[in-house]
Amino acid sequence: MTQKKRDREKKSKVKKPMSFLSRFLAYLIMIVFAFMTIYPIAWLIMNSFKSTREFQINQLGLPKVFTFSNYVEAWKMGDFALLFPNSLIYTIGATVGIIFLSLLAGFAFGKLHSRATGPMYGSFMIGILLTTQTLMIPLFLEVNLFGIYNTRFAVLLVYIGAGLPIGIYLATEYIRSIPTALVESARIDGAAFFTIFRKIIVPMSKPVSTTIAILNISNIWNEFAIINILVSKTELKSLPLGIYKFSGSLSTDYGKQFAALTIGMVPMLVFYIIFRKQITKGVAAGAVKG
Amino acid sequence: MKKASHYREETRAFWTMVLPGFIVYIVVMAFPIILSAVLSVSNYSGGKMFGGESWGFQGFQAYTSLFTDPWFWNALKNNMYIVLISVFGQLPLGFILAYFIYAKLVKAPDFWQGILYLPNIISVIVVGLLWQTIFSPHGPIAEVMNTMTRTRFQSQLRELFASSGGYAPTKEIATRILQMVGAEGRALFSNPVEELTELLASYNGQPLQEVLDGLTNLFAPRWSPTFLSQNNVAMLPVLFVILWMYTGMYLVLFLANMQKIDSQIIEAARIDGATEGQVMRHIILPSLSGTIVNSAILAISGSLSSFSLVFSMTGGGPSRVTEILAIYMYNKAFLGRPNFPLANAISLVMVLISFVLILLTKMAERRFGGTEE
Repeated sequence: MTQKKRDREKKSKVKKPMSFLSRFLAYLIMIVFAFMTIYPIAWLIMNSFKSTREFQINQLGLPKVFTFSNYVEAWKMGDFALLFPNSLIYTIGATVGIIFLSLLAGFAFGKLHSRATGPMYGSFMIGILLTTQTLMIPLFLEVNLFGIYNTRFAVLLVYIGAGLPIGIYLATEYIRSIPTALVESARIDGAAFFTIFRKIIVPMSKPVSTTIAILNISNIWNEFAIINILVSKTELKSLPLGIYKFSGSLSTDYGKQFAALTIGMVPMLVFYIIFRKQITKGVAAGAVKG
Repeated sequence: MKKASHYREETRAFWTMVLPGFIVYIVVMAFPIILSAVLSVSNYSGGKMFGGESWGFQGFQAYTSLFTDPWFWNALKNNMYIVLISVFGQLPLGFILAYFIYAKLVKAPDFWQGILYLPNIISVIVVGLLWQTIFSPHGPIAEVMNTMTRTRFQSQLRELFASSGGYAPTKEIATRILQMVGAEGRALFSNPVEELTELLASYNGQPLQEVLDGLTNLFAPRWSPTFLSQNNVAMLPVLFVILWMYTGMYLVLFLANMQKIDSQIIEAARIDGATEGQVMRHIILPSLSGTIVNSAILAISGSLSSFSLVFSMTGGGPSRVTEILAIYMYNKAFLGRPNFPLANAISLVMVLISFVLILLTKMAERRFGGTEE
C-alpha cells in the first residue's frame, strides 16, 4: 500500500492531528534511541584523540589538540600487532570450518536417506540453546586433560563446535529446499555423493553459507569468555583479550584505554558498514527458530 | 543386489558426512557436560586428572554447599533480572521500534535499523569497558552532574554576595556561606567561621569570578555514583547496557517478520474499517506469535551468556553484588584456591536451566507454532 493512499484513508477515519502526533512521537522515540546508540560511540572515538590530561578537564568537547600517540602506545602495550592476525585466524578458520561441516551434515540430513537422521539432527538441535559459556569450567578442564591448553587448535575446535548447531540447522533447512531431482539425476548419471556435494550442493548453498558466515564472523571476532580460559600465552590471544588488559591498572590512563577500545571496535564497524544489509538479513534468518 | 550396494553406499556417505561435525559437537558440548556431572560429585582439586593426585567420589556436598550459599542465590537473582529486562524490556521495545518502521511512521527505515542494530556488532568487552567509564565518577554523566551543581552553587553564591554587597571578609558573610554549604562544608575546617573569613580575606582585590570559582571548587558537592554500589540498584547500569545492546536485534527480528505478513490482508482489513489497534490485535500480533515466543526463548537463553559484559563492566563488583552465575562459577574455579567440584556443580545447574528452556521452547512451539510459515 502506498503511503499516500493510506494517508488519505487515515484522513477519512482518524483526525489528522492524531496521526501527526503519532508520527511526531515515533520520530521522537527513534531519535532518543539513535542518540543513545551513537553518542557513547562518538564520545569514545572523540576522547581517544585526547591526552589523558585533556580528558580530565574537557570530557564533553572536541579535542583541542588531536593526539595520535594514544593509538601508537595502545597498539604497543596491547600487543595488537600479535593479536590482530590471531583474531583473523580464529575468525576465518572457525567460520570456514563451521560452514564446511554444516553443509556436509546438512546435505546428509537433507538429502540422504538414513534412519539416523532424526536422532542425529535432533541432538544437534539441542545445542542451539546451550551456550558454551555455561560449560566454561569443564571445557577448561577438558582441554587440559587432552593436553591442548594454550593451542590454536583448541580455540578453533571449541568455536567450530559452538557454531555447528545453528549452522547445521540453517544448512539442513536450506539444502532440503534444493530440488531432490537434481541430486537424483546426478546419481543416475553415476556421480558419487561427494561429487554431488562438491559440484551441486556447495555452489547452490552460497546464500546459506553467507548467512552462516555473517552470524559467526562478528560473534567469533568479539568472543571473550571462552578464549579467556583456553589460552594464556600472548602469542595465541585474540583482540578482545588484549583490550581487556586496558581495564585493570591501565583503566585510569583514559587516552590509551579509549584508543584500545576504538581499535577493538573499528574492524567490526567497517565490516558492518560494508555488509549491513546481509548482516541484518542473516540475523533475522538465523534467530527465528530456537 | 545393485540396490543393496547403492543403499550401503548411501549409508556410508551419510556417516562420513555427519560424523566429523558430530565428533566436534560431542567434544565441545556433550563431553564437558558429562565431565562437569562427574567432577561435581568428586573431590577433584586440580592437577592432572589421570596419573596425578588420586581423586574419587565424594557425594553431593558441592550441591548442598551451593544451595546454602547466599551468593549463589544472589547470582541467580541477577540472572533473573537479566531475563526480566530481556523479555519485558528488549522484546517490547524492539517490537515498538520495529512497528514504527513497519507502519512507516518514520521515514528512512534502513537508516534507523542500521543505527539501532549497531551495538550488537561491537565487542562486548569494548561495550563493557566503555559503559564502565561512562558510569564512573570520571565519566560524562558525572561531568554533566558536576557542571550542573557547580552552576547552581555559583548562582547561589552570587546572590549571597549581591545581597550583602560584595565578598568583604566579614564573619557575617562567612557564617552565611557556611549555612549555605551545610554540615559537609563545615567539616572541612576545624574552626569554620574564622578560617573561612581568612580565606575570603586572601582573595582581597581579585575579581568576583575568581572568588566564585575558588569557593565552588572547595564546597560544591562532587557527584559520584555511590548509589550504584547499593545492593538493589547495582544491577541497574548492567541491565541498562543489556537493553542498550540487544534491543536492536529484536527490532531486526520483528521487522523482518512483520514484512513477511501479507500486506493485502492488512489493506483489506483497513478498507473494511479496521482501526490501527484492531489491525495490530487481530493481524499483526497473531502472525508474529511464533516469532515472539522464539525471541523470548532466545532472550532467556541469551541471558545465561552475559559473562563477558558483566566481567568487563563490573567484574561482579562492587563487593559481589552484580555477580551472575557465570561469574560466580568463574571465580570459584579461578579466584583463590580452586573449588572444581563446586564450579562444575554450578555449570551443571546452568546446563539444567538451559534444558528446561529447551523443553519450554518445544512446548511453546507446539502451542503457538503453525501460525507462522
